[in-house]
Amino acid sequence: MSTDGDRSRRAVLKAAVALGGASALSACLDRTDDDPVPTGDPDAKPPRQHAWREYVRHDDHGNSRLPAHQILLYLDFDVAGPPTDADRDALAASLAALDRAYAWRHEGLLHSIAYSPAYFDRFDTPLPEGIDLPDPTALSPFESPTFDRQDAVLHLASDRADAVLEADRALRGEREAANGVSVPSLTEVATVDSRRTGFVGAGLPAANQDAAGIPDSKPVPEASPLFMGFEAGFRGNQATEDYVTVDTGPFAGGTTKVIANLRQRLADWYDEQSHEERVTEMFSPGHADNGLVKGVGDNLGSSSGIDRFVDGIADDAREHGRVGHAQKAARANRDADGNVRLLRRHFESTDDIGSDQRVASLHFPSLQRRISAFEAVRRAMNGTDLTEATPAIRQRVNNGILEYIFVRRRGNFLVPPRRHRVLPTPRPE
Amino acid sequence: MKRRELLRTGAALSGALTLAGCSSLIETRAAGVPPVPENRPDGVYYPSHVEGMEMVGTASSGDYTVGLMYSYPHRFWNVNGENVALTEIDADDAVHLMASVWDADTEAILPDTGLSAEIYQEGSLVSQEAIYPMLSQPMGFHYGANFGLDGEGEYTVRLSVGAMSTRRTGAFEGRFADPATVEIPFEYSEAAKEDIAFRTLDDQVATPGAVDAMAMATLPDAVAPAESALPGRVLGSATSDDARLIVTALDTPPVGVGGDGTYLAVSARTRYNRMVIPAMGLSGRLERNGEAVYDGAFERTLDPDLGYHYGAVVDDVVSGDELTLSVTVQPQTARHEGYETAFGGLTGGMPDVTVAVP
Repeated sequence: MSTDGDRSRRAVLKAAVALGGASALSACLDRTDDDPVPTGDPDAKPPRQHAWREYVRHDDHGNSRLPAHQILLYLDFDVAGPPTDADRDALAASLAALDRAYAWRHEGLLHSIAYSPAYFDRFDTPLPEGIDLPDPTALSPFESPTFDRQDAVLHLASDRADAVLEADRALRGEREAANGVSVPSLTEVATVDSRRTGFVGAGLPAANQDAAGIPDSKPVPEASPLFMGFEAGFRGNQATEDYVTVDTGPFAGGTTKVIANLRQRLADWYDEQSHEERVTEMFSPGHADNGLVKGVGDNLGSSSGIDRFVDGIADDAREHGRVGHAQKAARANRDADGNVRLLRRHFESTDDIGSDQRVASLHFPSLQRRISAFEAVRRAMNGTDLTEATPAIRQRVNNGILEYIFVRRRGNFLVPPRRHRVLPTPRPE
Repeated sequence: MKRRELLRTGAALSGALTLAGCSSLIETRAAGVPPVPENRPDGVYYPSHVEGMEMVGTASSGDYTVGLMYSYPHRFWNVNGENVALTEIDADDAVHLMASVWDADTEAILPDTGLSAEIYQEGSLVSQEAIYPMLSQPMGFHYGANFGLDGEGEYTVRLSVGAMSTRRTGAFEGRFADPATVEIPFEYSEAAKEDIAFRTLDDQVATPGAVDAMAMATLPDAVAPAESALPGRVLGSATSDDARLIVTALDTPPVGVGGDGTYLAVSARTRYNRMVIPAMGLSGRLERNGEAVYDGAFERTLDPDLGYHYGAVVDDVVSGDELTLSVTVQPQTARHEGYETAFGGLTGGMPDVTVAVP
């Protein structure tokens, strides 16, 4: 969107809303790509729905580059009790059609469907003991999110905006086919309660920074994959897909997924702070003191190097009056052997759930074997112990990035292995 | 005098401001604010001007009642660790919003809760910020920030209170442990705002002292208990950079504090008007015959009888002991004019003080 002369930002935003459904995603559609989108073979899909790593681009350091365009469809199934064979046939047909329409890769379509505790509540049988899937809950002493308790969430991701949008529209019954393959609509069995869109990767946040929450100075660097101006999800700071995969029981090959949505308020982040201060709050004071982060942090390579700044965090708090987001979270994000526990796959958005306004936000899916691992990391990020160590660290201020992010939604889901992806019972055969 | 009248009558404002073109002064609100006084003393001083405030409304949820007030945009000094930095009024700022949080039962003001505000107009997000804790002479402790608005009209302000992590004792133990959100409607008009009192001070400006606290029927005050009202045996007091520290000894620690022995509580308040000074790092060394019998932290604590204070458990206290108090972190609250050179602040320095036990 151009910034024409004296039109106020407000006027521009109102105009965007007036266009109707001006989603962040559709703003990217002016990119034209004449290459055909590769079609798929249903028999050539990996057994894990969350097997993305081998099928996405990697940067020079081996870090994953997540698909640029993503959509989350939150679904409520129409059936009240346990699903019927007809329900299963209908959903299976939709998902199988996606499998035929798109290759399982970043320039085709990656997709996964996951089920909530509320979905499994419709069965008399509980989930197996090894499956840790509690109801979503508040995870900080200062948040009151709305919980996503829909039955399921279908996640669509592709580097091709046209692919992800066609799949989305076909699934929602707005078109017959996707990539030339007839796709039965999900509306046969489910209602789309909420549709959320987003993007990630260098250039896209800069191109979409005309949103409430980001100052008019257009501060988001072109090179940044995310609104906050830094790379994230370094290979060395992510769990592997193997690590987050459930390894026993009927859901072996699956994983659990937490999806939060956070509103971002970045005026003070960019306008009141230097790069060095942002490095302090995003990573650690040690990263700033040692000049470890250049620009958006590509120089960090395949690891943020956070582990050496974890043990000294209380000293950092007392000495610098500030602590970093990464060093706080890392405290709980390692197992006894030093392995990372969470596989984070967050992406940006200008969705403001519940309104048509363009507001900077972050969709935060995280995969882990057990939901409790996510909860522990998220609680470590609160830094409550550090607010007790010194009054310079406050509940949200000087406390990582908590001053700039406001959690609005959270939902917990189970991602079954592909063989059980269609309306599974709690104990599938 | 109200600011509008002040401008209309062309009364001279203190400082270098000329009154050529009064009408433009009304449009650019910040221009009516006198400059920061020169030759400020190192301590609490009379500011250049005092602005009134208007109560927008109160609302309750859970353990909390929240009051929302507003006034003209203010300049203030942010405090982060040792860093003290002036935040000037921005051209886009329409109002200074203030919020106080108090216990719905006892009306005790609760510092350290954490507070954030969302402002909506017809369901559309106008702003959302974590609001900084502040100290001002008329109000004492509150949360405040300048906000831009989208003109006159109806707004909804959602205020979210965070749970306290400050230690709570006595009847406060276990309370204020959950977050809560309230919504307060706010009808904004320039005319109503310009009716808010605005008073410049003359000869007193930049001399030691403080303006009186502002009384508001619906707003509990943030004043510390009078020395005579403190529980326990008051051992003495001392002043460090205009923070008055009163030490009282309780025979047993309040419920919620671990350990056995005498509880030493330090009640910190501003010189002149007794406003509670929260969010300091404080440590103390209790010496007997030249030997330390306690040397450690005085923990931030909220108690219904002692009020907000800093406390430590020691074995005992006897006549002749000396307690030396050291401020390790200056009060981590932003300062309104007249407080920015005290309690550390721009001029720094909160010297150790010693209280001799009688």
